[in-house]
Amino acid sequence: WLYLRQQKERQQRSRRLRDLRALSLGQGDFQLQDTSGTPRSKADFLGRWVLLYFGFTHCPDVCPEELEKLSRAVELLERDPALPPLQPLFVTVDPERDDAAALARYLRDFHPRLVGLTGTPEQVRAAAAAFRVYVSAGPRDADGDYVVDHSVLTFLVDPDGIFRDCYGRSRTAEELARSVRGHMDSYEPLPP
Amino acid sequence: PSGMAAPTMEERKACWGARDEFWQCLDSHGDDAAKCEKLRRAFESRCPQQWVKHFNKRRDFLKYKKKLETEGFQPPETAGKS
Repeated sequence: WLYLRQQKERQQRSRRLRDLRALSLGQGDFQLQDTSGTPRSKADFLGRWVLLYFGFTHCPDVCPEELEKLSRAVELLERDPALPPLQPLFVTVDPERDDAAALARYLRDFHPRLVGLTGTPEQVRAAAAAFRVYVSAGPRDADGDYVVDHSVLTFLVDPDGIFRDCYGRSRTAEELARSVRGHMDSYEPLPP
Repeated sequence: PSGMAAPTMEERKACWGARDEFWQCLDSHGDDAAKCEKLRRAFESRCPQQWVKHFNKRRDFLKYKKKLETEGFQPPETAGKS
């Protein structure tokens, strides 16, 4: 009976590993370009932890606040040399206005390693859909200006490309850092 | 990309500052906008129009939320009481 139970556990473990590998390949993928025009997909960030935020440069207040928070959380974690590297990412939900130059200008005010990603409207739409992020551009005014309504979320992705957690507006930078550290401490790499 | 460049960090902070001054004035005058004309104009000149709309909505929402917290929810009167 013990042998049967061990065999069952082994099967469950290998099924779980298979599911996780499928997730790491298929879940939350994107085809975008960074501010130097280089194509980037999720594969480019494997091997690193990623903190990813969706926003836009014409955002009245939420995006600067969330990016300050994200930057601060990354800074707090960087202080511990024992921790693995953490890559902050910003994906625009306003590809029409947020081209590479606009993103580069905007992101200068935040963490120096923060990478900005943009793309065609289709590519951005697909990336937002992959993360289940709601995006809705508002009506344009007489100057052609508009705001984009969107889910306010920061996603944590592990070095295998698997989604681990997401953080809303109410979490502080310190809480973010603490949570990310907890995930890093309990992380077990997917066997090849 | 269409239209003008996004506000810089300095421009954002100037806008938020003007908004906060306007709101502080409203807070100390029971939301009487007539008493805060000058600050309202400063706020509207410092911020993109889209942001002015956004912040006006935000203030309305915050006031409504406060009202709910202090007065409790008042369901509308049902038509036809027995």
